[in-house]
Amino acid sequence: MIEAIKINNLKYSYQGSQQLFDDFNLTIQVGQWVALVGHNGSGKSTLAKLILGLIVANSGDIDVFGERLSVATVNHVRAQIGMVFQNPDNQFVGATVADDVAFGLENMQKPSSEMPKLIDEALEIVGMQAFKNREPHMLSGGQKQRVALASVLALNPKIIILDEATAMLDPEGRDMVMQTLQKLKARFGSELTLITITHDMDEASLADRVVVINDGKLILDGEPATVFSERDIMHSNGLELPFAGELLAKLDKRPNSYLDERELVQWLSHLKK
Amino acid sequence: MNNIMIGRFIPGDSWVHRLDPRTKMIATFIYILVMLWSNSWQTYAWSAAFLILLIKLTQQPFSLYWSGLKPIFWLILFTVFLQILFTPGEPVLFKAGPIIVTLPGIINAGYVIVRFVLIILMSTILTLTTPPTSIANALESLLGPLKKLRVPVAELALMLSIALRFVPLLMDETQKIMNAQKSRGMSFSNGGPIKRAKAIIPLLIPLFVGALQRALDLANAMEVRGFKDATQRTKYRILHYQQVDRIAFLGLGSFVAIFFVIKFIFHI
Ligand SMILES: Nc1ncnc2c1ncn2[C@@H]1O[C@H](COP(=O)(O)OP(=O)(O)OP(=O)(O)O)[C@@H](O)[C@H]1O
Ligand SMILES: [Mg+2]
Repeated sequence: MIEAIKINNLKYSYQGSQQLFDDFNLTIQVGQWVALVGHNGSGKSTLAKLILGLIVANSGDIDVFGERLSVATVNHVRAQIGMVFQNPDNQFVGATVADDVAFGLENMQKPSSEMPKLIDEALEIVGMQAFKNREPHMLSGGQKQRVALASVLALNPKIIILDEATAMLDPEGRDMVMQTLQKLKARFGSELTLITITHDMDEASLADRVVVINDGKLILDGEPATVFSERDIMHSNGLELPFAGELLAKLDKRPNSYLDERELVQWLSHLKK
Repeated sequence: MNNIMIGRFIPGDSWVHRLDPRTKMIATFIYILVMLWSNSWQTYAWSAAFLILLIKLTQQPFSLYWSGLKPIFWLILFTVFLQILFTPGEPVLFKAGPIIVTLPGIINAGYVIVRFVLIILMSTILTLTTPPTSIANALESLLGPLKKLRVPVAELALMLSIALRFVPLLMDETQKIMNAQKSRGMSFSNGGPIKRAKAIIPLLIPLFVGALQRALDLANAMEVRGFKDATQRTKYRILHYQQVDRIAFLGLGSFVAIFFVIKFIFHI
């Protein structure tokens, strides 16, 4: 079976700095939702940029749907990957919401007559069609990030990478974006591979799989429940567990497996009886 | 900063909104040119009447246009001041040392105010009823012939639309940095001109660094959305020259004709 992303023996260092990735390997299956976590400077954004070919690896291979990333294939590979960045303002290219979604379509040289329909569809998926004619400074951060997501969706990507897309948002904006992601996953299912880079463990726990990296090395990899049961390893790599996990660890009497917030609440209320 | 009107677009469905942006651009240009020939209250009155008609046609409240004038208030005041002080002639109304105020000076100052206001209002009609992207597209189309001279018109137009998009953002950022520095005891309004100029430097440096970071981020964002170069793109907002545009040019033509008739009747 073909993998969405396959990274083999990747080596990379920024000019003049020490080796960041040294023989890094990671495989992401089609349709998976992977949360990539790690503390500041662990190499998450660098990995995303390597996958998109914005920077070039020193050695090693990156395959996207079986296609080897190279100078010759970079445009084709990029066309299948959408990326949402951290700062909502610095990725809003268009003068209005519609113009911003149109930007990518214009680059793909879609005929003008098809654009309004594609723009409406993409905005509808993220629930922003009512804001079509708004200018960016009249939108909240969460709304801008949903527009960024729509801009990416309009191009029909098979993989979407979100690099701390919620880090600059208030809790409400964060919820809006996460709900939109869950809706996307429900709608596109196995046709969409999702990679969310985040510091927020509650966000990470929504994924199918959590990958922890530090200093360019893979530390933990597994289902959220498995990864979050490794409290000591998480802490020694500068990461907290989700709120439920931290609470769980501090209880005198504990269940014998990892529970998420809802399960924990259930377990606790049974305890009281 | 919602009070900034420069380049602000208000969506609408008026007759003026529906015009081809090229038509609006050419009309604005011609109107401004004609203003330079205006030199009597009759011609100004006629031009103002035409402008008021246009504003009515945009279906936007006058107050919106009024707020568009506010930012240039000081510029107008300054020009008026110069006109009053340095226009020679008779009769002299007031004299104190080197300061001489003449009647032609006052009249000229009045004309300057009206000319300024009319020109700004006309440009505001353009920006208020036309999305920045369309303005950029229109510019690209109108400057098209320059492509033969290897002027990178498409790139310039894209640059313009991105620049317009970042104006409010940079304004906002300036305000934030100013507040941050004021809270640390910096004063932007006290002291002599040199002291004030010096106060600007710690404002400009973070602003510049921030703008560079934005530019790098934006370049990444554009690249991952498939941007290769400005010429190989289709357009979301296409330009349509239609019946309304022909009517608009007829209207503009009549305005210009009547303007010169008035001008020659009153000044032979
Ligand atoms: N353009 C660059 N030039 C040189 N070094 C860089 C550059 N960008 C990042 N680095 C360094 O590479 C390392 C990894 O950075 P990266 O941005 O990938 O981390 P990250 O995991 O995304 O961190 P964060 O959570 O803060 O976003 C850091 O030590 C950082 O200082
Ligand atoms: Mg990062």
